[in-house]
This record gives sequence, structure tokens and C-alpha cells, in this order.
Amino acid sequence: MKSAFRSAISTTLAFSFRSLNPTRHRPPLTLLSKHSPLTSMAGGESGTHVPSLATFQSLEKQFEEFRHQLEDSGSLRERIRSVALEIESATRLMHSSLLLIHQSRPVPEVLETAKRQIGLMRELFSRLAEITRECPGQYYRYHGDWKSETQTVVSLLAFMHWLETGSLLLHTEAEEKLGLNPDEFGLDIEDYLIGICFMSNDLPRYVVNQVTAGDYDCPRKVLKFLTDLHAAFRMLNLRNDFLRKKFDGMKYDLRRVEEVYYDVKIRGLAANGEKTGEQNDQAQS
Amino acid sequence: MFKSSAIHRLCLMAPKPQRSRHFGETALLGTATKKPRTLTTDATASAADSDSNPMKDAFSKYAAYLNDLNEKRERVVKASRDVTMNSKKVIFQVHRISKNNKEEVLEKAEKDLAAVVDQYISRLVKELQGTDFWKLRRAYSPGVQEYVEAATLCNFCKTGALLNLDQINASLRPLSDPSVEPLQINVLDYLLGLADLTGELMRLAIGRISDGELEFAQKICSFVREIHRELMLIAPKMDDASDMKTKMDVMLQSVMKIENACFSVHVRGSEYIPFLGSEDTNFSLLGVPEIE
Repeated sequence: MKSAFRSAISTTLAFSFRSLNPTRHRPPLTLLSKHSPLTSMAGGESGTHVPSLATFQSLEKQFEEFRHQLEDSGSLRERIRSVALEIESATRLMHSSLLLIHQSRPVPEVLETAKRQIGLMRELFSRLAEITRECPGQYYRYHGDWKSETQTVVSLLAFMHWLETGSLLLHTEAEEKLGLNPDEFGLDIEDYLIGICFMSNDLPRYVVNQVTAGDYDCPRKVLKFLTDLHAAFRMLNLRNDFLRKKFDGMKYDLRRVEEVYYDVKIRGLAANGEKTGEQNDQAQS
Repeated sequence: MFKSSAIHRLCLMAPKPQRSRHFGETALLGTATKKPRTLTTDATASAADSDSNPMKDAFSKYAAYLNDLNEKRERVVKASRDVTMNSKKVIFQVHRISKNNKEEVLEKAEKDLAAVVDQYISRLVKELQGTDFWKLRRAYSPGVQEYVEAATLCNFCKTGALLNLDQINASLRPLSDPSVEPLQINVLDYLLGLADLTGELMRLAIGRISDGELEFAQKICSFVREIHRELMLIAPKMDDASDMKTKMDVMLQSVMKIENACFSVHVRGSEYIPFLGSEDTNFSLLGVPEIE
């Protein structure tokens, strides 16, 4: 609309100029074709200033609107970041309680303390959900701001779930634990999978310390779990991204657990390992 | 106690275990396949175990999700590449503009631009529904930026004005069925494309100056200057502020190049010899009427 107005003005001006000064020799209009002066006005020398002003005003208006939009999205992002930082600190508390497991405190006790953070976690995630409700459809625009915190949370929850039940915390279960609603603010599947990979990174250390503390059945359980997990991961067609790198790391975790299992088994330390009697004699000689 | 000291002794003496031979169940893990198979038929698939079945069921769903996502991403990347290539062609087409062929050049450019929208951008519409619009942004953003560059360049040559984001988005609305969300370019991609536009305008200005079209070059100069000035306030607020910062630096360079070229022509005025073959009969007056 504005451009039509502008070209109308300039064309009028161009014509009026010509009619007022018919004898003045002017170099040909730089861009206007001699045949169709109406089509455009770029290069119309008499229209140099008027269209520019209008152009600039429309430019300013558009950019001012952009400025407001981006200020809004910027402040939204700041709010998200501040919640994400709170999530990170709650995660640290959870992690620190959970680390007592390496000092062979009884599992239920450790889980009890760690679980206390879950309520806070749920609240923080629901605050995130609330903030993103203000910008529907833009979950992934701001996703990077809570991505790594979420992955860590998932890894801790999965580890706790395994300690409790010996099984894998599934994606839907993780969503539930955090009070997330997949239709609104869900748990991204890749975040979940990366979180599981992080969990597997902690298993070798756990196994080593458990064995040192005298739990010789632990390696067998962990080995079975990790083997199944690795096999399940192999069902995924991963491209060369971060998730793929983490998955590749899992096989080293598995290998380490295998080593521990082997060390325990050949020395007949496992309570219900096969041929324990025979190996016990060997160990004691 | 006895047992523990025995263990200590054994720890010191036990050789490093050979892994793969002793664990039949884990034989396959020795071979780190580059691309994991979708269906695993290894011996470890202990179907009898109650644990692995829910795990496997869940993971087959995750596999399906990732496969769909990656395939979609591939399609989007391909469409984006096509948009980029063909938008670049439009830009090259516009650069061929001169006093004599303006009409045809712009007409062809517009036609080609419309073709980009109909043939390539249309492929993005159905892929970028819902949250995928932001999820896959890195996949299609370069293409969209190039399109914005081409469309704004064409529009500037035609009207001397900046094609608004609203105007671009209005032109894209017909691509989508009324029942689906229309594909709308977001403000970030628009601004990034705009930043690239200034580079092309710089090239255009320099080209036009050597063709003798000084006034057009000056128009470009004030236009680009104003865009740079406006974007100064917006660039740091963008999601991709660091990308934009580099573009702003390049933009300033472009503005200065145009300004310097206009300066040279202004100062040299009567010395300036236009491109041979020009239809201007009055060489010595060239540049003078344009000086305010």
C-alpha cells in the first residue's frame, strides 16, 4: 500500500517536473525504462527525498516493533534461565545426597534424603511450564536454556529408580515423576536418552565401591541391567550428534562393569555364582 | 579377615582379564558397530527376562521417534538447500540489472522468486507444523535467510523500499491449506536475511556506480545506512546475538564501502568516465545534477 502511494507521488512529481521544464536537458532517468515510467520509481531523480522519508518511517516502525518483540522474548529467556539455575542447584543437592551411596549408606536412607528434592524439582518444572505457556509453540526456541539441567535431573532420577527397583526409569515415568504434561511442557526424548547415558556413566563407580564394601552380588545385577540397556540403545538409529557420543561412551561403562564382574567371579566371591565351592578353595589357597 | 587379605594378594597378582572370551552373553559388544541396527537379534535379547521386554518396547518407540525426526530433518535440510540455491540464482539475476534491462531482469527475478516459493518453500510448510518450527530451525534457517535476501533485494530494486516481514509472510500464506498453520518466517531469520541483503546491495551499488548510475547507488547508500542504524539496537537482543554481531560488523564494512565509492565519484565528478557504451550524451554533466 505504502509503496503504491509512494510511486504515485513520485510519478506525479516526475511528470510535473517535466512539464514545468520541458527545455531543460536532463540526463535520462538512470533506471526508469523510457517505455514504462509507471512501473517503478527507483532512480526517479525528482522523487529522491520524498519516497526515502516514507521508506524510512516504515522501516523505523517495523524495527521498533521488532525491538519490542525481542525485548519480550529476551526477558522471557531471562526468567527461564533463572528457573533453570534453580533447577541446577536443586539437582546438586539431590546429587550430593545420592553420592552417599558410594559410602555404602543403606540405600533406603539415601533415597529418602535425595527424594526430598523431587518436590522442589516438580515445582520448578511447573514454573518453567508456566513461563512457556506465555509463548505457545516455542518450547524448542528456549529448549537450550533448560536442556542440560534436565538431562542431569533425568540421570539422577533414573539412578534412584534403579537403586530402588533394579529397572529402568522409562520416558513416560520420568515425565510423571517431574509432573510434566507432554501436551504442554513435556520431556524431550533426546534429553531423556542423554540423561540415561549419564546415569550409566555412574554405574561402574558404584559397582566398584559396592564390591569394596563387600556386596559381591552387585556386579551381576548391574552387568545384566547395563547389558540390557546397551542392547536397547542399539535399537536406535543415531546420527553423529551428542547423543551418539554419549551412547558410544556407554560401552566403556559396560566394559568396566564386566571387568569388575569378572574379578569377583573368578575369585568366587559372588554369593550365588556357579561353581562357588571349587573357586572358593582356589581363592583361599 | 582372612578372606580380605587373600583378596588383596589376588588383586596384586591377578592378570588383566581378557574380556570378550569369557562372556558369551557379551560377545557382540566387542564389535563396536558404527550404525546400530534397528532390530537386535543378539543372544543378549533374553526374552525370558521380564526386565528387558518393557525396556525393549519402550526403546522401539524411542527408535521410531528418532527415525521420524531424523527423516523429517533430512527433508527439511534438502528443501532448505534447494531454497538457498534458487534464491542465490535470483540474486545473481538481479545483479545483472542495468538501465536498459531493468524491466526484464526484475520480471524474471520475480518469476523465479515465485517459483522458489511454490516449489521449494512449499515443501517446508507441512514439515514445520507445531513445535517442529522451532525444533528444526537450524535445518531450514539458512534457506529462509537466503530467500529473505533475494525477496528484499528484488523488492528494493523495484520499489526502493524494504519488503516488510508482514508482506513476506502474507505472500507465503497461500502456500498453506487454511486447515494448517501457515508457514510464517520468524523475526530472527528475517533479520539475519536482512543483514545479508546489505552485502548484496553493496555489490549492487558498486556495480551500478561503474555503470554510471550514481543516483541509484546513493539511494542504496542511504538505505543501507539506515538499516544498519536500526539494526544496531536490535542485534544484541536477538536469540542468535553472536551470529548477528558478526553480520553487523560486515554490514558496517558494506556501508562504508558504498559510502567511499559514492565519495570517490562525488569528488572526482567531472573526471568520472562512465561505462563505455552508455547512452548518456552529456558525460561532463554526469554526476553534477545529482549533487545537492
